[in-house]
Formats: sequence, C-alpha cells, structure tokens
Amino acid sequence: MSITTHEKGRPAALTVNGLAIEASTDMTLVEAAWHGGVPRITNIGCMEGVCGSCRVMLRRGKEVSVGLACQTFVEDGIEVVFMPPASVPQHHYDIGDLKDGWDIHARFHKIFHEAARCRHCHGCVAACPKGIKVEDGVAQAAAGRYREAGETFFECIMCELCDAACPELIAPAHVGLFSRRVTAHFHLRPPNLIHRLEELRQARTATPQDKKDDE
Amino acid sequence: MSNGIPLPEALARYRPDAELGPLPEPGDIDTLLNTYHPDHLRDSVVKLTVGANAGDPCQRELADLLQAEAFIDEADLAGTPVADVDVLVIGGGGAGCAAALAAAENGARVLLATKLRLGDSNTVMAEGGIQAAIEPDDSVQRHIQDTLRGGHHAANPALVSAMTGDGPEVLRWLIDQGMQFEQTSSGDLHTRRAGGMSTARLVHCRDYTGLEMMRVLREAVIQHRSIEVCEQSPAVELLSNEVGQKCVGAVLTSMLDGRLRIVRTRSVILATGGLGRLHLNGFPTSNHLGATGDGLVLAYRIGARLCDLDSFQYHPTGLLHPSHLAGKLVTEGVRAAGALLVNGLGNRFIDELQPRDVVCAAILRECGEGRGIRIDEQRVGVWLDTPRLEQAQPGMLEKQFPNLMARTHVAGVDPRREPLLVHPTLHYQNGGAVIDVNGATTVPGLYAVGEVAGGIHGRNRIMGNALLEIISFGRRAGAAATANRDRGPKKVTLEHVNRLRRALTLAGLPMTQRTPRVLPAYAAGGAWNR
Repeated sequence: MSITTHEKGRPAALTVNGLAIEASTDMTLVEAAWHGGVPRITNIGCMEGVCGSCRVMLRRGKEVSVGLACQTFVEDGIEVVFMPPASVPQHHYDIGDLKDGWDIHARFHKIFHEAARCRHCHGCVAACPKGIKVEDGVAQAAAGRYREAGETFFECIMCELCDAACPELIAPAHVGLFSRRVTAHFHLRPPNLIHRLEELRQARTATPQDKKDDE
Repeated sequence: MSNGIPLPEALARYRPDAELGPLPEPGDIDTLLNTYHPDHLRDSVVKLTVGANAGDPCQRELADLLQAEAFIDEADLAGTPVADVDVLVIGGGGAGCAAALAAAENGARVLLATKLRLGDSNTVMAEGGIQAAIEPDDSVQRHIQDTLRGGHHAANPALVSAMTGDGPEVLRWLIDQGMQFEQTSSGDLHTRRAGGMSTARLVHCRDYTGLEMMRVLREAVIQHRSIEVCEQSPAVELLSNEVGQKCVGAVLTSMLDGRLRIVRTRSVILATGGLGRLHLNGFPTSNHLGATGDGLVLAYRIGARLCDLDSFQYHPTGLLHPSHLAGKLVTEGVRAAGALLVNGLGNRFIDELQPRDVVCAAILRECGEGRGIRIDEQRVGVWLDTPRLEQAQPGMLEKQFPNLMARTHVAGVDPRREPLLVHPTLHYQNGGAVIDVNGATTVPGLYAVGEVAGGIHGRNRIMGNALLEIISFGRRAGAAATANRDRGPKKVTLEHVNRLRRALTLAGLPMTQRTPRVLPAYAAGGAWNR
C-alpha cells in the first residue's frame, strides 16, 4: 500500500469472536471488529503494535496461529478470536534483591529454573509477532550472556504470546526482560550522568542554608 | 480544506535531491498561532458554568464531560464489596507505575487499578526520549528556561524547577530499575537536541524509549510484593468524606462483568493520562484507546481545581497514510535527526525544530492556503522528507528508528524511498489538575501525576518532558501519598456528586450524559468510521 500505488481494499467476510462480519482488506482486525460492531472487546490499546494488548488467535482453513489484531489485515474467510489477558507471571524476583553481579547466573537459574530445559519446539518463535528469535534469546540467557539475550529481545512488546506457547513454562518474555534489566542495573554507568549527579550532590551539601530557605 | 495540490502532481514534483530554496522569513509567531493553531479555532472554547473552575475557559467537548452526571448513586454502593489499602493508584501507565513503586518503596500497601492492561498507555508509544540536563555544557537552569519558554511562560515555575532538578536522579532510578539507554562509544548517555531545546538533552533508547521504560516499570510493578494490580478495572467515581471535602477512595468497575468494587484508602493518586480519544475539534489522535480524560472528570467532580483546559498539543507530524495508522506519530526525533518538512510546491516553510505548536500551526497554514498535498476530499498534508535524510546518512533510519520502519513496513510503506505524508494530530493535554510539587491537588487526599496533572508545561510541552514528568512527579506523589498518616476514612460517601448535581440543576444544565467516558463510542459498540 505504498502511497504511489494507492490501492483500495476489497470486501471480505470474516468472523470475530464467533460473529460473522463484513469488512474490507485494508482494515486491520481491530478496525474490522469496530466496523462490525463486535461487542465486549476490551483488550485493545495502542493500535500501532507496541503495547502487545490485542492478542488474537487466527484460523485460516486448517492453519492456526496467533498475532496482534492491530497489525493484521483483514483476509477473506479468516476466523479471529480475541484472547483473554495473560495470567500473572509465575517467576518472582525483585531487582533490588540482586546485590552482587557475580552470583547473577546462579540467581537466574533459581528464578527461571525451566530456562535450561528448552526443547527447541519453536512454539515461541512461531508465536512472536515481532519476529524475535526467542529460542536463541532464552539460550543466551541460560548461558549467562544477558547483554546478548537482552539485545535479542530488544523489540519485545510484552504481549507474552511466547509465554503462552511454551510447553516448558519458561516464560521467555520475562527471561528477556530479566536479561535487559540486569544488564542496565549492573553495567550501565554513564560518566556524563554520574558527573552531573555528583555536581548536584556537592551543590546540595555546599549550601545547606539555601536548602533550608527553599523548604 | 478541499484545496491543495493533488497527490500525483505533488509526487511528480517531489525529488529527494532537489535543491530546496531558503526558508521564508518566519513572520510573527503569535499571529501564526492565533490564526492557525486549533486551540484558537472559533467556537472551540466555552466558559465553564459550575465547579471549581466556573468562569474559566475550557475546550467545548471537554466542558460537556466535566459538567455531566455521574454513573453511580448512593444506592449502588449498598452491598458493594469493600477493599482497604494505603494508597490507590488509578492508571497503569508510566506515571501510575512510578507512583505505585515509590509508594511501595516507602512501605505502603498499594492497589494499582487500570482501565485496560497494565502498561497499556501513551507512555509505551513515546518514542523520542526523556530530557535531563546531563551534558557538560547543559544545566538544570537551562532546562528550566527551555521548558518555560516552550510553554509560552504559562507554566508554574516551582513545578518546572522540581521536575528539571529531578532529571539526573530520575535517569539513575530508571537505570536501577533496569532501563537501558543509548550510549556513545565512551559510555556516556547519548543525547539529542530536539524542538525547543537550547542544547542536546534528549536521552533515548533508539526510538523505543517509552516501550523500554514501560516494559521495565511494568515488570517492576508486577514483581513487587506490596503492589496488587487490578486490570480492566476503570474507576467510575471517587469517594469523599461526609462533607464531600476530602478524597477517601474510589469506586472501580470491571470491564469484564460490570461489577462494582469500593476501595477505601488514605490517598488516591490519579494517573489516568490524557484525552486524545475524545478527538477534540475533529482531529485524529496519536493516543492509545483509553485516553478519554477520565481523570479530569473524576477530579473536577470532587472539587479539584484544573488549569489550562483550553490548551492542547497537536503534534505536527501525525501520519496521514497508511490510513490504519492515521493520526499516529512520526517521532520528533526524525526531525531532530535532520528530516525536513516540505510542502506540495517542494519548498520548506518552517524551521523544523521550532516548538511543536509553531510547527503544527505552520503545517495547518500550508494546508489551509492550498500548498498542502491532497490525497482525497478530506485528507491534506505535507511531506516529511525521510528519503533526503536517508540519502544524507545512509542506513540511519533503519538503525535509529526501527520502530518507525517496523510500523510502516506492515503497510508496505518504505520511508527510505518515499516521503511520509503528515498532518497535525491531537497529542497531549497541556493542562490538567492543579498540583503542588508533591503532586497534591487542591482536594486533600487526592494526587494527580502525569498527563492528567497540569501547570508543568504551560501552553505547549517540549519533547522529552513528558517521560521526565511522569517519573519525577510519579515518585514525588507516591512518597507524599504514603507519608499521609491520616488514620483513614470513617465513612465513604458520594457527597461531592450530590453537590455537583445541585449545581448543575441550579445552572439549568442538562444531565443526560454520564461520565467519565471510559471508552470512545466507536470502541464501545457505537458507529465507527475511518
């Protein structure tokens, strides 16, 4: 649909949450659902593919897949079901509890003990609407390469479709976020920021009188 | 606006390597704004009749929501289950998460209720970055000056000073939470200069700054032991004490089954965001689906003073095409990186790094005076010259703006080869609830942070101050709300609702509409037209 070859959409019939509706192929599934007046769809958010809310299960003939409704265009005959919100995560950690970078690897495997058990079923990779190499990312994290794993998950939009797809309950999306978070938490120490923070701290301690006047 | 240069003609004229003439004389900025900025459209502003801002100017569609009937009555509260918490946060975007985390860090039991999904917010879509004065040639003082100047000196200097002073500490806190930022080869945080800034101050994570911030904060909130999250649970009303003078809780409903739930608390923090989905003045919007101004309605009904209700930000570069992304943004970062704006005649018409309201008004002037590019009867825009940028710095769009590339790729558009057609889009509510430096509103027990709060940006926000504001004031309000050691409510009532009802009746205003809106009509089963 480049602007130079401006195509018009074609009419198409589809079902959304079991309701048969008519729409046009230049509409996204979100637009189609509104257009068809499908009731009670409450998981639509940004409509530009970054919030990960509008998770849908799609059926084309015998093929079943998942995706984002705002990033999928209407096709004739497609069956669409808006998925319920993801359940609460089963892996718990508080980044403030991670004090020592040297034991991070042991802590990771304690928190995400399933991560080493990936059976390479490819379910997560197939489910990811952003084309992330999820399996590779999990393997990198399991090997303690958190910076690389975090880079692999850079485009993650928190839809958690990979979590739903994983038969080993690895929760890859959270493995990815953990990897990114510990990388920043332990390694991001920018000199320009640190210098300014120190200047501000010194200014505060140098003029306690002014500080009092402010308050 | 049916005039303009037809698309094929403009395309034939467009070349990424064409010599661009010099910029025309800028002319008088105030005249430009008064003539073309949507805030100044005739009939767009009315005077409020009742409430804390009676007599103040307010955008017409917003005024209808503020002066309206509530969803619930005392009768609805009978038999409704009650939960008690220390701090209730309403809203699950960046401001809400920051407030919840700060309250929890200070020892409060927190309930975070959000209308959609946790993290589903405008924060997640913020691309450009967050401002903080960290470069050697920069200072908090310069950040204050830029913010005040960008807001036409209408902002509250105390709030601006508090926010800008927090900047470096906010970055440190975010990094502690696990947020990554772009670095230079020497490890410094990479900074860019964007519209309205006197120097490079914009810290970013490629063009996914908001997403990176949101996914980290969301995870931090989910993982926190003292924060309970309640999704798909919009607040339909606040609760007040016997005399309707103090906020002591809220009534939540469920999007799934419509059941009500009372939350009693010492402090309520409103972090409900903006109102782009009200499509003021018929404009498209960059906002997410939940941005329906609920917080303003709730705050106004309980008696909080609001400010600058006639001032909104229309982002200059909303996409006009592809149509499923209509109104969605091309980040200002693209202009900061050097992309130019070009009209249908192939000429530049404004310094691209002027504040957003000025650039917006200039684009509307081009479109209004027939120099725009016309796709069809309704849609006219100008070029954002991305191919020229790509030619000057090959590979830069792919590397620095993966989000833009991904979004346009879905629709088969390649900004490296064809310029983007853009038109201003409703982006941000400049005003909001009047707050102090701790985010406290004029109603005891009620705090407001993020876009729902006002006074920080004056009448125009400059890029990167929104992400700073939500963390700075979110954390301030979270801490202050926890420090509120009031023993908690004895009785929760809807006295404030009755008070507004009486005022509406006396003023002879209709009470047919019930607010807050919660969802735009087209997403709640109403008619939808693209």
